[in-house]
Amino acid sequence: METVFDFFMSIVDRFRYAPLVIQIAVTFTFIAVTLTAIAYLSILINRYRSYQREKKLAKLNPLIDDLLTEHILMNEALYNEETVEPVVPLEVFDKPVFSKKWARQALINRLTMYRDNVQGAMGEQLRYVYLQLGLDKDSLKKLKSSRWDHKIQALAELTNMDVPLADVIILPLTNSRNRELRATARHAYIKLSKNEPFKFFDVATEPLLRWDQIELFRIITTSDRIAIPNFAQWITYSSNKSIVSFCLKLVEHYQQLSAVPAVTKLLDTRDHYLRANAINCLGKLKIESVEDKLISMYDSQPHNCQVEILKAIGRISSGKHVDFLRQEFLHSTDFEIRKHAAKSLINNQWAAEALVQELVETATRENKLILKHCMNPLIKF
Amino acid sequence: MYRILVIEDDEVMPKIIERILHKEAYHLDHVVNGKEALQKLEETNYGYDLIITDIMMPYANGFEVLSRVKNRKEGKPIAVIIVSNAGNEDMILEGFKLGADDFLKKPVIPGELLIRVKRLLMRYQ
Repeated sequence: METVFDFFMSIVDRFRYAPLVIQIAVTFTFIAVTLTAIAYLSILINRYRSYQREKKLAKLNPLIDDLLTEHILMNEALYNEETVEPVVPLEVFDKPVFSKKWARQALINRLTMYRDNVQGAMGEQLRYVYLQLGLDKDSLKKLKSSRWDHKIQALAELTNMDVPLADVIILPLTNSRNRELRATARHAYIKLSKNEPFKFFDVATEPLLRWDQIELFRIITTSDRIAIPNFAQWITYSSNKSIVSFCLKLVEHYQQLSAVPAVTKLLDTRDHYLRANAINCLGKLKIESVEDKLISMYDSQPHNCQVEILKAIGRISSGKHVDFLRQEFLHSTDFEIRKHAAKSLINNQWAAEALVQELVETATRENKLILKHCMNPLIKF
Repeated sequence: MYRILVIEDDEVMPKIIERILHKEAYHLDHVVNGKEALQKLEETNYGYDLIITDIMMPYANGFEVLSRVKNRKEGKPIAVIIVSNAGNEDMILEGFKLGADDFLKKPVIPGELLIRVKRLLMRYQ
């Protein structure tokens, strides 16, 4: 014992009297080796845990599958869309294993996976099992957890099982500082709130990021039974620019002509990105009455708004402003402006066939190329 | 006996399809991606009466399988049903353009799937 102690002390002495550079190098080496060992150890422990979990799940999942198959999938009374009385005897789930948290979570995961794939009476029975076994309480408990990933998991489960949530619980999450939690909460709110699915627009202070907008748009446009409100209210009153911009896209998608006055008012906004979005929306809605206003404001606009005005005139295609388009095409120094002016001229061709023909015949080589490019229906921009 | 090929990377959906179709005299084969599906089709010389496929899968997606099956010049025609949770218009239109016989959006109603399978098999008989 003394020898080991002496050996240790000799190392300490050597370290103490070693030059400073050596002391620093030894310290760093020691720290690096210790951290590497800890990292490897934690990886090993995690892998072992996940192996154990997989092993337990490999035994439990077939048991859950058998129960669900026997009592739900094999039940032909559940093959139609009509709701039927609960048919699953809940006692079959009365097994000791389901008193454990991990097993209950496995059951929730399996039920949500099945509900992702079947709807109608069968989907209702899966929801019935989830609710009657009190698994919604497990999800609600997770929703109160301080960990954001648990909250996201809980929201996904509750949304999948169509369990309504009080606004006081979910609305604050739609403004969470965590981007992923915020997006999930917004999706959940749209799916769970049948009467006012867009109420979170009123309280949204955090921006809707582009990817969130794409996801929300997909959810809104593919979900059934969503009450679509008049988006003009947010276009007029929301102070969140990303919400206004998103609402413009929804107005255009749902062709909400009742929102046109609100969109037209946006032409006077100081934010030129929002103005460009409004012009784009009006063009896609083909609102002929705003054409004159767009032409009159054209010269004072930044480049992105000018491009949107040219595109809008092409989309509206009233045939009234072909001279303006001709002028921009022939005299603008910006290539993009010329390109969009040409495209809009072609879109107005029904009213200016002779003019387009004349342009093709008398144009320079580059202009002719632009016109031919725009005439090709396969080239879209 | 009708032979049906189920192409689906989801763990649960093939079990559901198997259970829905179990009463009928169908022989079901299951593969988990487009690449395996194409191999299976080559091995069996396209010996299936119906293919039920997902769209988004690894290696080769459902559209590639659909396009290969529908562009065959020889052999008996095979009915194809797309069952997918990608329910946007473009995807559905693309599927029908490539020759899909039917499109079902997940989650499916079991009875509806059963009827559509039966109807297609009768039409292709």
